[in-house]
Amino acid sequence: MPRRRDVLALFLILLPWTLLITFWHQPLWEQPIRSEISFCVLPSRLRVTRASKSHQRGFRLYESCVTENKRITKANQMRYIYQRPPPWSDTLPALHVITPTYSRPVQKAELTRLTNTFLHVPNLHWLVVEDSAQKTALMSRLLENTGLNYTHLNVETPENLKTQKKPRNVRIPRGTMQRNLALRWLRENIDPNSSHKGVVYFADDDNSYSLELFEEMRWTRKASVWPVAFVGGLRYESPKINSQGKVFGWRTVFDPRRPFAIDMAGFAVNLQLILSKPQAYFKLKGVKGGYQESSLLQDLVTLSDLEPKAANCTKILVWHTRTERPLLVNEGKKGFTNGSMEV
Amino acid sequence: MPRRRDILALFLILLPWTLLITFWHQRAVNSLIPVPKDNRTRASKSHQRGFRLYESCVTENKRITKTNQMRYIHQRPPPWSDTLPTLHVITPTYSRPVQKAELTRLTNTFLHVPNLHWLVVEDSAQKTALMSRLLENTGLNYTHLNVETPENLKTQKKPRNARIPRGTMQRNLALRWLRENIDPHSSHKGVVYFADDDNTYSLELFEEMRWTRKASVWPVAFVGGLRYESPKINSQGKVFGWRTVFDPRRPFAIDMAGFAVNLQLILSKPQAYFKLKGVKGGYQESSLLQDLVTLSDLEPKAANCTKVSRESKSS
Repeated sequence: MPRRRDVLALFLILLPWTLLITFWHQPLWEQPIRSEISFCVLPSRLRVTRASKSHQRGFRLYESCVTENKRITKANQMRYIYQRPPPWSDTLPALHVITPTYSRPVQKAELTRLTNTFLHVPNLHWLVVEDSAQKTALMSRLLENTGLNYTHLNVETPENLKTQKKPRNVRIPRGTMQRNLALRWLRENIDPNSSHKGVVYFADDDNSYSLELFEEMRWTRKASVWPVAFVGGLRYESPKINSQGKVFGWRTVFDPRRPFAIDMAGFAVNLQLILSKPQAYFKLKGVKGGYQESSLLQDLVTLSDLEPKAANCTKILVWHTRTERPLLVNEGKKGFTNGSMEV
Repeated sequence: MPRRRDILALFLILLPWTLLITFWHQRAVNSLIPVPKDNRTRASKSHQRGFRLYESCVTENKRITKTNQMRYIHQRPPPWSDTLPTLHVITPTYSRPVQKAELTRLTNTFLHVPNLHWLVVEDSAQKTALMSRLLENTGLNYTHLNVETPENLKTQKKPRNARIPRGTMQRNLALRWLRENIDPHSSHKGVVYFADDDNTYSLELFEEMRWTRKASVWPVAFVGGLRYESPKINSQGKVFGWRTVFDPRRPFAIDMAGFAVNLQLILSKPQAYFKLKGVKGGYQESSLLQDLVTLSDLEPKAANCTKVSRESKSS
């Protein structure tokens, strides 16, 4: 009997040690991750709703215990740094970026370089709203291929209200219905009582954005403002800031008496404010030129609520660039046209 | 004595099992970021990236989490790899109001591309503070050069054959820099590409050109008065002509950003430069390429030249 006990004891000793040694040689807990140039295909779900609590993405990196194994250590570094888009964080407020867009030859080019910028920004939720009766295949493919966290919407501006021939007060400024649809989507899909923190920004698809801009706007409490280049016929327009760091006016040539003499890309609004004032939308008709931004902001904030960003409005972090229409004069000549090539 | 043996035996049993259970438990609570798709073929074998992420034990310590995140945000561009060929991207630039805007969005694209060496050449007598600051703030691997195109050769009033096409002297300076600074006998692998600062580039494009053996070509949108121009590819996958309306009989009827050249080829033919004068409109690219390659050397990219991943535009 002692013999059996000895054998049993020996077995119970040898087995776990054998397992341990095997695992140390062939780490089963090491998951090979390829972090080279990866076109990160993340599901296009919205991460910002009520589900966010379950996304406990707190993490920390361990230096591998086996530090002479440089491969693992290096992998930790490599993996950590480089992923598109950056991993979602539970501590950073989400940036809900609303981009109206419409079909024209340069659309895909504009959106390509815009997404190349967005892919650097953590916790970005992109609401793309097409001015179309149906979602186009081009947009659907593009959005899916980026790997960004997006919501794809569409609403068509009625033809008779689009045309330049109509007087301004009958025309709906381009992009208005699309931006309003995105605001409505946010109001219908995000619970104001949840702990979700976010900021809403309107980003047109032909502007240029620095990465610093997104980090400036991220901590907006009510509404934040900053200078914008190439608007109002100036090198830049800007809010005027007094010595207390408050906005008291607008450095513009064109109608500085507007309630908010600021370009669409020059402000961001805290999401809670948007959700708590569900009547606030961009006015559709009867909006004088340059007053569109005011038509929304005057229902949300007063001048004293505004938070100046970009080093007290002394730096340019966004440019209202415009894209020239490409010359397509040779299309159709010598039988040249190939509709199947997507540009 | 039997007692001691029993204790020893018990210890030798409990210890390894405790270790095993600890390891298994840690593995079970592992939460990993989804594995990205890997399109890389040649380099991936040597990059077995084992790692794991832990849920922070102290998840309520938001500061640590935030620090990790912030550390992440600032780590751009991707770390340098020893296996990927380098992309030497040559960008001539000049002062004008939209310069900083154009370069900002260009760098936002470049910051995704591994092993990119950016040669920026200003058309100026001196390096400008704007450019120096911009380049330093991006964190990109760059070389900052400058050469001023003589005023009398710039002006539009001169006939075309007396004028130097914009950017030519700057591109040539960059080529000379490469020839003077990279040893052709080193093991350095690279590809040279000319990227103007007002175009739009997809990220896919850079991975297409990276494996260029001699010279590769692909379609370009919004050039030559067309939605796109493209090389013509035959059934053997060889370039036999050019799908352009404007002068398709040019030796290389292709836009500046529609081709890339292997660095070794550039280094081994040190006389090959863009011709400065007497270049007919649209022939600038040919003036360089005809000294480097023949039509049959060209490697079609972008799915045999059926995809557009680069568009030419000015704002």
